[in-house]
Amino acid sequence: MVVHYSPPWANTHIIGIAGSSGSGKTSLAVKIVSALNLPWVVILSMDSFYKPLDPEQSAQAFRNEYDFDSPNSIDFDILVERLRDLKQGRKAEIPVYSFEKHQREPKTTTIYSCHVLILEGIFALYDPRVLELLDMKIFVDTDADVCLARRLARDVKYRGRDIHGAIKQWTTWVKPNFELFVEPQKKNADIMVPRGIENTIAMQMIVKHIQRALLNKSKEHVKALRALGQGHDADEPLPPSVKVLPNSPQLQGMHTIIHDTDTSREDFIFYFDRVAALLVEKGMDHLAFKQKEVKTPQGNKYSGLELSRDVSAVVILRSGGALEVGLTRVVPDARIGRLLIQSNVRTGEPELHYQKLPSTLIHDSVLVLDPQITTGAGALMAVTVLKDYGVEEDRIVFVTYLASMVGLRRLTKVFPGVKVIVGKVEDGFERRFIDERYFGS
Amino acid sequence: MSQQLQPEEPAVAAPIGPQYKEEKPEATVSTPIKHSNVHILPQTPQLIALLTMIRDKTTVRGDFIFYSNRIIRLLVEEGLNHLPVISHPVTTPTGRSYQGVKFEGKICGVSIMRAGEAMEQGLRDCCRSVRIGKILIQRDEETCMPRLFYDKLPEDISSRYCLLLDPMFATGGSATMAVEVLISRGVPEERILFLNLIASPQGIQGFAERFPKLRIITAFVDQGLDGKNYIVPGLGDFGDRFYCI
Repeated sequence: MVVHYSPPWANTHIIGIAGSSGSGKTSLAVKIVSALNLPWVVILSMDSFYKPLDPEQSAQAFRNEYDFDSPNSIDFDILVERLRDLKQGRKAEIPVYSFEKHQREPKTTTIYSCHVLILEGIFALYDPRVLELLDMKIFVDTDADVCLARRLARDVKYRGRDIHGAIKQWTTWVKPNFELFVEPQKKNADIMVPRGIENTIAMQMIVKHIQRALLNKSKEHVKALRALGQGHDADEPLPPSVKVLPNSPQLQGMHTIIHDTDTSREDFIFYFDRVAALLVEKGMDHLAFKQKEVKTPQGNKYSGLELSRDVSAVVILRSGGALEVGLTRVVPDARIGRLLIQSNVRTGEPELHYQKLPSTLIHDSVLVLDPQITTGAGALMAVTVLKDYGVEEDRIVFVTYLASMVGLRRLTKVFPGVKVIVGKVEDGFERRFIDERYFGS
Repeated sequence: MSQQLQPEEPAVAAPIGPQYKEEKPEATVSTPIKHSNVHILPQTPQLIALLTMIRDKTTVRGDFIFYSNRIIRLLVEEGLNHLPVISHPVTTPTGRSYQGVKFEGKICGVSIMRAGEAMEQGLRDCCRSVRIGKILIQRDEETCMPRLFYDKLPEDISSRYCLLLDPMFATGGSATMAVEVLISRGVPEERILFLNLIASPQGIQGFAERFPKLRIITAFVDQGLDGKNYIVPGLGDFGDRFYCI
């Protein structure tokens, strides 16, 4: 039975901030981000979702005659799609809109694994489909004269417009649209923030509320992790997708050296590298191969095999670095991606701090390297990330040296298609010590 | 030792891959050898792919060296598993006691020049400071028989396990002579491990019968020998491909 695992960034907490142009939405969003002081908060501006303009509209835009302040100028369909992806914990490609060309740039920006998303724009509380996805709806209510003053200053100072054009824009589009479309959004809001960022009490309330929501999510995640892979028979054998290295005399000897606290660092590194190469060699056997006929220098034919796909590796930092020497002994030209996953010292929750993956990953066979599986939480997270990148489960081989029974069960119950190569299986929990010994810190 | 010409035996083709895979690509695998002192590496897809790479005449030298080293390392790892270990309890960094083992007995490598020397790096990858002896055997132009030209072996070789290195085993003339040299220096036959990449079936059978206590670790037993006593399909001249071409 396949068990579902939901990463901590799924069910993203989405906050919508609407308000008139010049009301201070962006400043409020930035203030919230800095008050939260977490790496997983992302601001998404609705400016990215302007519809691309046809040549006629574009000409109007350059004459200040195009209405950018009407909801019609926003591509709500794409916005809703991307927000839904993020809410599901998936990766979302955000369009990049060029104000010079009034077109979307060919490139996109990727948003992935944020825990909190702040959507800001004059129509953040407009579309009912967006409202459904929002966890908190804020309307910034600033006096119209303050908004106009800010807008004029910004248009003239930073956007190279002349004062008459800017005033024309305000009276023709901004003000009527505000009354027609922007202001009515107030009835959708949970919180009205008068005076924008000057309103420190409102700010504190908002931040407290988000922090509470995040703490609850983190508790839920840790609870769900604990529940995974439990309630099974302790004697249940490991699934066939787990391949343990044959317990040969040499391997036993190397286990002893690696486990011995009296082993010098020099020896530790030498023997760990040797085992690592064996683990990676074993992992290679589970990649896809295809037939290949070759001719020897004497012209004899041999019908052999070759790898069907290039090999990429994903190293789970920091400890995964200890398997990299082994990797280069076997596949020196593997493209290598890196994920930094750390356990939060207070909650024990694994956290994804950094990810840099090769773009070719979805076409390759992928070896995931982490020398130790303890609770299995980091491994689950890593495979989740790869699957979200579009790597199929049966192309992933997870290479590890020491693994706990519980961790292996969690990983294989959630991802039965992933092959796991293990040097040694442990009954209890062994804390992470391989990377400490290998790197000496 | 069989020197006669043998007709090419049919190659053994088999689907290769882990059991769970439904579709397995087919490839030629090692000829089976029934002698219990011949250990052929498991014919995994990865090993077959490595052998494919080094047999291919279009493989450039850098790749040839790299891929043959990978096979050699697997041979050394397999060979070392035939050495004894003794119980050795230790304490782990987390404070638990661990019932371990440690390697017992001294070893040394002996390479048959020049191709055998290509296997020294793989040996050193697994045993850092291993002592290595050398034996030079060349074919005597007049008699066409192998002749010992040179040897330099560790003095205490008789008390060591010897890993004898030679990547290609065709008729086995040099390997047989090398084993005789080792035995004459007091190394018991049962402490000699012969590590080899590709062997001919007739050669390896004769060798295994002649030295029943010696252990042979090979990656692949090929189909046979051609008229010039080259292994078929083989991979050409190993020494040339490793050192020169």
